[in-house]
Amino acid sequence: MTETTPVVLLVLALLLTGPAPALLARASWPLRVPRAALVLWQAVALAAVLSALGAGASAGTLVMTHPSPSWWLVVLHGAALLLTLVVTARLLWSAHTLGMALRARRRRQRHVVDLVGRSDRRAPGALVVDVERPVAYCIPGVRSRVVVSAPALDALGSDETAAVLAHERAHVRARHDLVLEGFGVLHDAFPRFVRSSVALDSAAGLVEMLADDAARRRSGAVPLARALARMADAPVPAGALGSGSVTPAVRIRRLAAAPGTSGAGGPARGGRGRLGAPAWLVAAQAYTVAAALVAVPTVAVAVPWLTALSRALLP
Amino acid sequence: MEQLWALGAPATVRQVHQALTGSRDVAYTTVMTVLDRLARKGSAEQIRDGRAYRYRPAFSRDELTAELMHEALDTVDGSDRTAALLRFVGSASADDARALREALEAVERSARDSA
Repeated sequence: MTETTPVVLLVLALLLTGPAPALLARASWPLRVPRAALVLWQAVALAAVLSALGAGASAGTLVMTHPSPSWWLVVLHGAALLLTLVVTARLLWSAHTLGMALRARRRRQRHVVDLVGRSDRRAPGALVVDVERPVAYCIPGVRSRVVVSAPALDALGSDETAAVLAHERAHVRARHDLVLEGFGVLHDAFPRFVRSSVALDSAAGLVEMLADDAARRRSGAVPLARALARMADAPVPAGALGSGSVTPAVRIRRLAAAPGTSGAGGPARGGRGRLGAPAWLVAAQAYTVAAALVAVPTVAVAVPWLTALSRALLP
Repeated sequence: MEQLWALGAPATVRQVHQALTGSRDVAYTTVMTVLDRLARKGSAEQIRDGRAYRYRPAFSRDELTAELMHEALDTVDGSDRTAALLRFVGSASADDARALREALEAVERSARDSA
């Protein structure tokens, strides 16, 4: 291990928390391969945390193993070690509080929905509630619920309702809530003035696309697109979406571009986008980068760190 | 199990049980357990009446429905980014109606072409 290791890791952590998410959020290829994009987002987040923790840990070891550390080296690396501890504590605390809050709210929602909801032939497996707006959502978790409002059922045709239900069931089945919870924990762990919601917003959009893809495979693109247009058209009170969000129109346009619009078709693959690269190639590149992002910092730190440690402890 | 709303006045376990047996076969102890659980979750109020308990709903159906609605719509605005619920589609305020219609037409056209 050299003295530059902590610095390299720190720079990497900064790159992965700042410019990398900004670039990734602006890219258009995730619209075509949302699953690969989501994996890449997770890899970026994981690598950022690992490098930040590794920077502090390696700095600490450096001082420990240094033959004659000067006072500024001790102070500098002591600060780095402290930072690591603070980051770890914040992550754990954020995971705890967010997890508790989400579970409590979902438990309450489930309880209330079970009290006021009724079943309806038009929406098998879902609970119907009599609220005045057309809405559809799911309460994720082990004991999940899919909820549709009565006005939504009235507004949608039977194939459109099936598409909505398929979308919500895809969320529930794939546990998309856990993916979002992970990004939520990271988001909440950062101090308010440096946090950015780019990753969380992007992940939320990608998760919707994945559920859309599942619903399209089951019910076809046209019913899904009609359901999206009808439900999004409904007037919704204040609370504009962030500019980075995936809007309903973006989601519908995606369905037009994707192959297999007849419904019975297999997963969207092999389709050529405007860039000319086939979707599988884009996905493969994203997976490769994701694997490299997680593996490289781990190997680069863990191996020299362990050798240095063993050399120090076993003379 | 929310016969309490239908009964109106605070009801005993026996009254709820009798109201239910008209429509389905359910044990007295089951009714007692369910009412007790509702009371513990705060959805029903337990009132001591001599040796028995009377139960009455703590919230009206409308109040609970309003709570659902509030939560379902709240999860899309910025105050709470990690949503407890996953909604089918959020606010269309970022799109105008024309963009939605055009996108929909494009989907329908491409479905016709591939058919």
